[in-house]
Order: sequence, then structure tokens, then C-alpha cells
Amino acid sequence: MHKILRTLIPFDIAKGLSITGRHFAKVFFTANRRKVPFHIVSEYPEVVARIQPRFRGRLTLLKDEQGEIKCVCCMACEKICPTQVITIEKGKKEGRKMPFPVRYDFEMERCIFCEFCVESCGFDSIILNHQFELAAYNREDFSLGLEGAENMFEPSQVGKFSVADD
Amino acid sequence: MEHLLETIGRNMFAIFGVMALGAAALMVAFRSAVHSVLAFLFAMLCIAGCFLALEAEFLGMAQILVYAGGIVVLFLFVVMLVEMSKKKEKEVFQLQSRYAVAAVLIGAAVFVGVFRKVIFGTASPEALVLRPELAEGLNVARQNAQAVSRSLFADYLLPFEILSVILLVALVGAVVLAKTERV
Amino acid sequence: MPTPTLTQSIVITLIQCVLVVAFVFVVVPLTVFAERKVLGYLQQRLGSTRVASGHIGITGWMNRGMWKMGRVPVLSYWRGIPGLVADVLKLILKEDILPAKADKFVFFIAPALSMVAAVVVFAAVSFVPGTFFTLPSWFPYVGGLPVSGGIADVNVGLLWILGVASVGVYGIVLAGWASNSKYPLLGGLRSAAQMVSYEVPLALSLLAPVVLSGSLNFGEMSSRMAIGLPAWALAPQILGFLIYLTCGFAETNRLPFDMPEAENELVAGFHTEYSGMKFGFFYLAEYINMTVVAALASGFFLGGPWLLPFGLQGLVNPYLPAFLSWFGEPHAIFFVVKIIFILFTYIWVRGTIPRYRYDQVMSVAWKYLIPMTLFNLLLAAVVRCFAV
Repeated sequence: MHKILRTLIPFDIAKGLSITGRHFAKVFFTANRRKVPFHIVSEYPEVVARIQPRFRGRLTLLKDEQGEIKCVCCMACEKICPTQVITIEKGKKEGRKMPFPVRYDFEMERCIFCEFCVESCGFDSIILNHQFELAAYNREDFSLGLEGAENMFEPSQVGKFSVADD
Repeated sequence: MEHLLETIGRNMFAIFGVMALGAAALMVAFRSAVHSVLAFLFAMLCIAGCFLALEAEFLGMAQILVYAGGIVVLFLFVVMLVEMSKKKEKEVFQLQSRYAVAAVLIGAAVFVGVFRKVIFGTASPEALVLRPELAEGLNVARQNAQAVSRSLFADYLLPFEILSVILLVALVGAVVLAKTERV
Repeated sequence: MPTPTLTQSIVITLIQCVLVVAFVFVVVPLTVFAERKVLGYLQQRLGSTRVASGHIGITGWMNRGMWKMGRVPVLSYWRGIPGLVADVLKLILKEDILPAKADKFVFFIAPALSMVAAVVVFAAVSFVPGTFFTLPSWFPYVGGLPVSGGIADVNVGLLWILGVASVGVYGIVLAGWASNSKYPLLGGLRSAAQMVSYEVPLALSLLAPVVLSGSLNFGEMSSRMAIGLPAWALAPQILGFLIYLTCGFAETNRLPFDMPEAENELVAGFHTEYSGMKFGFFYLAEYINMTVVAALASGFFLGGPWLLPFGLQGLVNPYLPAFLSWFGEPHAIFFVVKIIFILFTYIWVRGTIPRYRYDQVMSVAWKYLIPMTLFNLLLAAVVRCFAV
């Protein structure tokens, strides 16, 4: 009897309709007003996208409190990199005991963002930051860190075209 | 303008009739079977127009509903699925033209023979008049569907039911045929 | 009131036709837009928001300012509207491809058949009983004459609607055949079989209102269904409404019965080979058919131009206080609002219920809907015998 009733009277359809109807009403009446919107999509180019903490973006060298590059050229990252995108040239700098990376090349076009380099680093001197807008018009823009590793600290050329520049 | 429109309105039956005849001729003349079915559909719609011109609204609509909406669709299904290579089609559909002409002539003769009283008669045929006790409270000229239904379910109830039984028999027969084919 | 001459009445009919076509061509694009937005809202998205207005021109400038202030722009609901214009322009300007082996004449005539069958149904739909409005006296040639609420006040309006709607099947079948390709042929057969089977319960579910109101005229039926029925006529009406709506979804090839398109599983049915405005005709015809089904549901079950659905108006009207008498009278606006509500329901159901399998579609029609409509017809007949 219960089964026949369930077949005849479309309870399940009514349930589904009520759920979607509630969603509709919530989004419709709060789309403009709520601080935290009910809808689950973000309006990305205008509103900054929220990124999870463990997101793996572009490789970045870190500096310590004195503004010195933390990397000591132990070559661990270069060795472990599965696609061999990191090339380090050891050098010396006056007033610094540890070795100094004269060159720290990172060719992003081949990088697979596996984060092995960051895990292997014993000095916490590199991270993968949260920059995800990695598109560029020129192939050369993907080769980072060619001139003394300085452009490894700033948002690179790469991705600048996809950022809303209002 | 007024005169012209009135003339057109008075001759609607002739206009639709000529269109129906033309469409029927095209149906015979077309090379592709699907085109023939299209012309047949147009002829059916024109005949519905003829009924409307005679103020038989119910019949006109039934014509559209039954022929245009039901039967010709099934024709179309069959023709679409049966149609094979051009050569085969030619053999099946076009080398039978002399039989077709003969069939049309015989059909026309039979039609004229059966309906000679309607065609050549002067008075309006009696079958089209509703009995006065059935027509009570009914504007027969305006309420066509009601008039047809009263006549159908009072005077012609037995033929109507027999017809429906015949249709049922045809339906059951079709099911039986389809079943035996599969076994 | 002066009696119009023949020419004048023809001119008035033409005016009515223009009005109805204008109504259809306003409602249809808005439905297309609403479909995107409402479907988005149902799924906790925002729908289409990415068309020019948000970025260029004065609105773009205002929107950018509001984004900079950290606020969502006020016009957020309507940010996809220019997409409508873009869609229409795209359909009109797109190259019209004719497949090499297609049957040119049938290929050309199939979308026209679909479209004509969809629009012509509105001839028998009456938006409001009696006079809709009187033309102003300065109007050339037909000034001061009344314009009635429906184009053709035929006595067999329902048969006209069903008959012409069934002609719409040809558009689909012929389109599938004329493309001379396997996918459209299969798609055409698939959808034609579906439409032919769902026409049966659709017509049967509309017979219950015929029995209850004792007429085939659209205007008479809607007014009798709204104000001429006792309270216990509710049961066949509500059951009939649900069945009719289900059949209507299937008849217009909409989700959850959209076998012809099934866009994420099958090749797109009968209009695979169509492009440009010919495809646009099919697209338009689908939405016009939706409007037709909504108009019929509104007229026969939801009380038509009266306010309350399911014949409740007739029960309420005697107790209506004098200052509320405006709500006791028929108005075209009520009719249109109900049409819009049914169109919303279309999208609502589309956003909720997943697609049926093809054999399920067929078994729903033949095994469940037809017995239910017959039962409903019986119920209506009983109510008619003992109550009316």
C-alpha cells in the first residue's frame, strides 16, 4: 500500500523540487546583498579568487629577515626535480659565508608543480606561491630567474595578461 | 476591396478544392516517395479547408487531427524506413503508373456511382439534417460538434459501436501479426 | 458599438495576429534568458553574467566602480541580458549550411512546418473573454472598433489546437529524413515516436476539461472551468493538471523527456545537420511550443484570465467584497502571469529531475499516464453526471 501510494503521489519529485526551489529563492534574494554569497561560484576577474592554502602555484625563492636570499645552493631541488626545470650556478658573495646562487633558472613551461623541490629543501628557502594566472604571449616569459634570480621574487610577466587591470 | 474579399470568401470551397486536386496530382507525379507524402499531407489540409468552407468545423478539425496528425505520419514512417536505393524505388513506385491511372479512373467511377444523388441532386441530402427532437436547444449551424455528437450517439449508435469493434479487431490483429513474426 | 465590415474585421484580425506574434516573440527570448539565469540559481550558480554590459559603456563604467568599492553591481541580475541580442544575431548571421546530399526542398520546409505549427496554435487561444480593448477613435480605418481577446473564436478550438500541434511532428520527422544522415534520421524517429505516444495522454487529459465544461471552445472552456464548477470538481482538475503538465513536458521535448536533444549523451537528434536560422526556427518552435502548453495549462486548469486556479474563483466570487471586485473579473494579465509561472515550472523541473531512459519514457506514457488519464476522465464524467 505504501509503495503504491509512493508511486501514485510523486513525493520524491516534490522533495527534489522543494530543494531546488529553496536554492533558487536563496540565490535570487541574496545574490546582491549577502557578504558571503549563497551561490558557490565566485565572480573571478572582478573579485579576487579564494585559493586553498595548499595550492601549488609558481616556484618562488624566499629571503630572510636581512633581505638575503635564503638559498645556499645545496642542489637538492635540482637533483630531485623530475622534469629538470631548475638549474643552479653556485657562486660567492662578499660578506656571506654560505654559497650564493649566481643563477637560479626555473623554466616554468616544463614544470609540473609537484612540489618535490620544496619538500627536499633543507633550508625552507623556496615555496610554491599562490599565483595561478600563468599565461603569457611569449615563450621567453616562462623562463624565470635568468638574471641573478632577482625576478623570482615578484609576480612575473607570466600571468600579467589575465589579471584584471582596472 | 470589400467586393473582392467577399468573392474570395464565397469561393473558398472552390479554392481549397482546386488546391487539394493540385496537391493530389503532385502526389502522383512526384518522384520521391517522401515528397509524395508531403503533397498528400497538403491535400489533406486542403480538404480540411474545404470542410471549413462548408462550415463543418468539426469535420475539418477531425480531418486535420486524424489524417494530417495521425495517418500521414505513419505513412511517412513507413516510406522513410522502406525507401531503398534509387533503382529499387523507381521499380516499386514509378513503373506502376498505368495501374495507378486505372485505379484512379475506377475509383472515380465508383465514387460518382455511389454519390450520384448527392452530386447531381438538387435538394439537400437528408442525412445532413438533424432530427428536430435531437436538435433541441442547439444552434446547429454554430454548434457543429454538439450536433454531430448527438446524431452519432442517438441515431447512429450501433454503427458507431460496430466501427469501434472493427477498429479493435484490426488493432488486435496487428498485435498478433507482429507477435508471430518475432517467434 | 458599430458593426465592422468584412475588410475591417480582417484588418482587426491582422492586428490581433500582430499582437499575439509580438507577445510570443517577447516571451520566447525572455524565456531563453530566464532559462539560463533560473537554471543557474537552482544549482547555486549565477547564470550568464559575462556579456558586454558588465565591461563596456556606461553600465560597464558603473559596474567597474562598484567592483572597486567591493560591492556586487546592482544590475547583477540582468548582466546576461545582452547575451540575448548576441544569440539572436549569431543565429541570423551564421552561415546556413546545406548538406551536399540533403533533400533541399524538404530540408528547407521542415523548420518552417515546425515553426508554423507552433505559432498557428495561438489562433484558437483566447486571452480574455469578450472584448480585450477598443481601438482609439483616431486609429486609421478601424478606429473605435472592439478587439476581442482571441484571434478566432472557433467552436472546436481544442480540436484545432490538438490537430495543428500534431502537424508539428512533421517538422521533426522530415528534418531528420531530409538531412540524409544517420544520426538525424534516428533522432527524428526517436522524437517523433515519443511525440506521437505522448499525444495520446495529452489529448485524453484535455478531455476531462471538455467533459467538465461541455464545450470545445477555448474561451468558454476556460471561463466554465474557472467559475462554473462545484468544489468537488477539484480532484479531476488537479490530477488532470499534473498529467497534462507531464505530457506537455514530453510533447515539447523538454527535460526530463528530452530524448531528441539529450545534449550530454546522444548526438543532437533531428537538427544535427541544421545551422543558422533554420536551426533557429527549431529553437524558436520549441520555446513557442512551451508557451502554447503553458497557455493551455493556464486556460484549462489554472483558471485562465481569472485569478484563482482550479475553479476556486467560482467558489470565492460570491463572497468577494465589493472593493475587491477587480480580482473577481477576468484580466489578460492574470493569464499572462500564469503562462510565465508555467514556463518557470518548466525550467524548475529541468533543473531538478534527471533524464529518463528511452524505454522508461515510453513506459511512462503507455503504462502509467494513459490509465491515469482514463481514470481521470471517468472521475470527470462522474462529477459531471452528479454535480454539474
